[in-house]
Amino acid sequence: MEQTIEQVVRYIYPFTALVGQENMKLALILNAINPKLAGVLIRGEKGTAKSTAVRALAALLPDNQVVAGCLFGCNPDDITTMCISCRERLQGGKELDRAKRKMRVVELPVSATEDRVVGTLDLEEAIKKGEKRFEPGVLAEANRGILYVDEVNLLDDHLVDVLLDSAAMGVNTVEREGVSFTHPANFMLVGTMNPEEGELRPQLLDRFGLCVQIEGILDPGQRVDVIRRRVAFEEDPAKFCSDWEPEQEKLRQRIIAAKKMLPGVQVPDKMLYLIAEIAIEMGVDGHRADLIMMKAAKTMAALQGREEVGEEDIRTTADLALVHRMRRKPFQDLDLDQQKLEDIMGGPSHRHLHAHAHKHEW
Amino acid sequence: MQNRRRFVYPFTALLGQEKMKKALLLNAVNPRLGGVLIRGEKGTAKSTAVRSMAALLPEVPVIAGCPYQCDPFQPGKLCINCKAKYNGELPPFIWRRVQVIDLPVSATEDRVVGSLDFEYAVKHGGRRFEPGLLARANRGVLYVDEVNLLDDHLVDLLLDAAALGVNFVEREGISYSHPAEFILVGTMNPEEGELRPQLIDRFGLCVQIEGETDPTMRVEIIKRREAFDQDPLGFLGKWSEEEEKVRQEIMTARHLLAEVTMTPELEELVTQICTEALVAGHRADLVMVACARTLAAFYGRKEVSESDLHEAAEYVLPHRTREPSPPLQEPEPPEPGEPDEPEETEDEQEQEQQQQQPPEMQENAQEEQDQSPQKAPPQGVPEIVFAVGEPFPVRRISYKVKGILRRGSGRRSRGQTATKSGRYVRSTRRWERQDLAFDATLRAAAPYQKRRRRDGVAVVIELDDLREKVREKRVGNFLLFVVDASGSMGAQQRMVEAKGAILSLLLDAYQKRDRVGMVAFRGEEAEVILPPTNSVERAQKLLEELPTGGRTPLSAGLMKSYEVARAHLYKDPDIRPLLIIISDGKANVSLGEERPLAEAIRAAEMIRDEERFKSLVVDVENSGFLSLGLAQQLAEAMGAEYYKLDDLKADRLVEAVHDVLEA
Repeated sequence: MEQTIEQVVRYIYPFTALVGQENMKLALILNAINPKLAGVLIRGEKGTAKSTAVRALAALLPDNQVVAGCLFGCNPDDITTMCISCRERLQGGKELDRAKRKMRVVELPVSATEDRVVGTLDLEEAIKKGEKRFEPGVLAEANRGILYVDEVNLLDDHLVDVLLDSAAMGVNTVEREGVSFTHPANFMLVGTMNPEEGELRPQLLDRFGLCVQIEGILDPGQRVDVIRRRVAFEEDPAKFCSDWEPEQEKLRQRIIAAKKMLPGVQVPDKMLYLIAEIAIEMGVDGHRADLIMMKAAKTMAALQGREEVGEEDIRTTADLALVHRMRRKPFQDLDLDQQKLEDIMGGPSHRHLHAHAHKHEW
Repeated sequence: MQNRRRFVYPFTALLGQEKMKKALLLNAVNPRLGGVLIRGEKGTAKSTAVRSMAALLPEVPVIAGCPYQCDPFQPGKLCINCKAKYNGELPPFIWRRVQVIDLPVSATEDRVVGSLDFEYAVKHGGRRFEPGLLARANRGVLYVDEVNLLDDHLVDLLLDAAALGVNFVEREGISYSHPAEFILVGTMNPEEGELRPQLIDRFGLCVQIEGETDPTMRVEIIKRREAFDQDPLGFLGKWSEEEEKVRQEIMTARHLLAEVTMTPELEELVTQICTEALVAGHRADLVMVACARTLAAFYGRKEVSESDLHEAAEYVLPHRTREPSPPLQEPEPPEPGEPDEPEETEDEQEQEQQQQQPPEMQENAQEEQDQSPQKAPPQGVPEIVFAVGEPFPVRRISYKVKGILRRGSGRRSRGQTATKSGRYVRSTRRWERQDLAFDATLRAAAPYQKRRRRDGVAVVIELDDLREKVREKRVGNFLLFVVDASGSMGAQQRMVEAKGAILSLLLDAYQKRDRVGMVAFRGEEAEVILPPTNSVERAQKLLEELPTGGRTPLSAGLMKSYEVARAHLYKDPDIRPLLIIISDGKANVSLGEERPLAEAIRAAEMIRDEERFKSLVVDVENSGFLSLGLAQQLAEAMGAEYYKLDDLKADRLVEAVHDVLEA
């Protein structure tokens, strides 16, 4: 077992080698292309490759351009999201040194303390020099990376509040333990949960851009694949990774291409009306669902290499944006009325199957 | 610190939500309106609106270098430093935009009120006050996002400062006070819990917002937001002209405001409206007058019209009206004849509110509204019919205000925890748990550093300096249901009613985020059908499927629940388990050699002897000629509260549970 962990650290299981769970993979890829999609909540049983997928995704993604030496890994080309010190340097006419940084996955353990999450007073600095300095926490580390919260529904309420706050604003404001500090905290929030252990508060649910419900794979053929690949990986990770490298590279290129294409993707008014209608008819709270549906459809179009959003894009992605935003009564399961969604989209109900079949193709 | 400006979506580009926007603008025109509380569902641009309002705020003269932004033209309101420094002369000042200061939900007390300046103390050995958020917020806007999630303790601090306009600090050997007049702006999602009435009343205005339902509007919202996300700078540039226009309007209205007059007739109308709305106190009258005048100025008039008044009422009354106001689902009025000044009553109101305003009820109510134009509930208690696959509906619960002080249960009750988990709110000198509050310890040690021998370090800490964290945690209760599922329960719909009763308790637990567990006994043995969990949903499902039949191994049920509760206590000593035994007490199977009933009584006594348990027996036996009263004997042996299901029904049961928990 020890050895396995070591291997995993060096070699990360390739994203493209993951079997099944198409919805989850799609949601993750869409987020990788468009960080404004605000994260993914993965609901499902244990042992369904949730955290493997998240790590694999990070390994697949291209490196970030960062300001060299910046604690928060600011983007040198985007003044709107910079930390104060980078912004001041730039505005003072200074050139910002650049560096490359791997896409990070920062894990927030359920037992994390608040000071570690938001940051706190730097102990060493205080004792040695008698000076007050901010010691960045998990939120700072996660800036421009992935913040992964396993079992997010078991997180303490007060930590959830903190997450909500920064996730919403992309900024972490610290006013505690003698320090006062603000820094950017734009991260892709990926949470996993097992609904049997309790639900998330609706407010937090809403903050996850997309949501997928996953189950263990039932198809025997696929299950065998899962085992075979896993065994092959564990026996010779180097070979396994290199075998999969062509696939990985293909997907990587697709993501890069989609990223480039995304800003130019048009959303015809007709499609916007369809989205608004879906949101109204399905009875969701607020406007976040509309925005996310649109962004998801747009990103989907970019992934497919199309310059205009079509009904298919909405069809494939709408449920990802809707399932966790439906108004529901206590004790009611999180569920999406697929039939109703289909009716709104005006398609005959059997097209529902097509939508799913389609998902496997991306 | 000044460079905190964020690139936020421009205020003028916000679509719809006219009331929210106007409420914010009115406050920008007239800072004396007392702030605004924005209540609304998630995803309705609440926070965006407040944050973007910062760009529209006017510039005001501020004494240069003063941490409290003193007004050079108001000699009476200067802080101590400025008073001493300028002594009657006109101080040098700069023009600066009014600031919006964020109060994050994770804030600790020292940063809110200010504290000892640690760096200064170490370097110079003196005590100096380091201003906190309240200082920064002086003459500005203090913004609390998710204000209903803020710690009670911090809420109290805010209230004190807001009421006096001054922040008094007495801590860490520092005695200081400074002006703290700020506009309090809060946003909240009522689904997450309600605010205390005292705090609600502090907000001058209140608006309730919802998502737009017009497709064209929604489409436009999507378009604009996407345009902003794609190119924030370009978008801001496009809207800068519009922003400037509104800024000018605000300035014009500000100047006009001083000249706006109001006729005595209208003043009378104000009192009349307020009296009719049954508001408490006089704040409503005052705010309404101010609001109407601001509105008149906003419309460019020098005289308040009647329509201004009616418009003002929409902002001033909703959160103060004490009659049930269906569209807003405002707090219910207290029982008639109940005075409402004393602290305790306030607390009860809060209680009452929490219990009557759980999110789910609001959802239900909202759904009702969607279907029909809402029948206003009769004075007093809302009745919500709730059926979840049960053959009979369970009534929702009314809470009578009693003459005792009640602490809420569940996630709203914040206990100070003995473990190292929970939110750090402040520090104490008591050293018991080895939970070091480093910042406070440093501050305690700082002033003595000059005198202490320092070997290579800047700060020497001695035992006496140690400070410990005081943490607060929202503790729920642990409700362990011990359900008799034997054959005798099947008779005469007893089980159906018992299930209904449990269901109503589960619903309550769901809203309070209590932890629940369930033990059922029938046939020969007892079974833990639900180990302690936060998932009330699962409890509900299991309850639905729970079969009845067989004999009654009561003692086994009691022993099992004793074990479960003990184990839970071991895991989480902060949470006291409440055992809820639902049975007719007719034990007929024993674990050992003893007679079933005697054994059950012994088990009951064990539960009684564990002091950390609380218990409640619900007797499901039909009262009448043939009743044996066994459950009552059981309750006596257990030292439990005893209720008959017949007297209780579902609605009283929840109340009974609260009584036990609070005893």
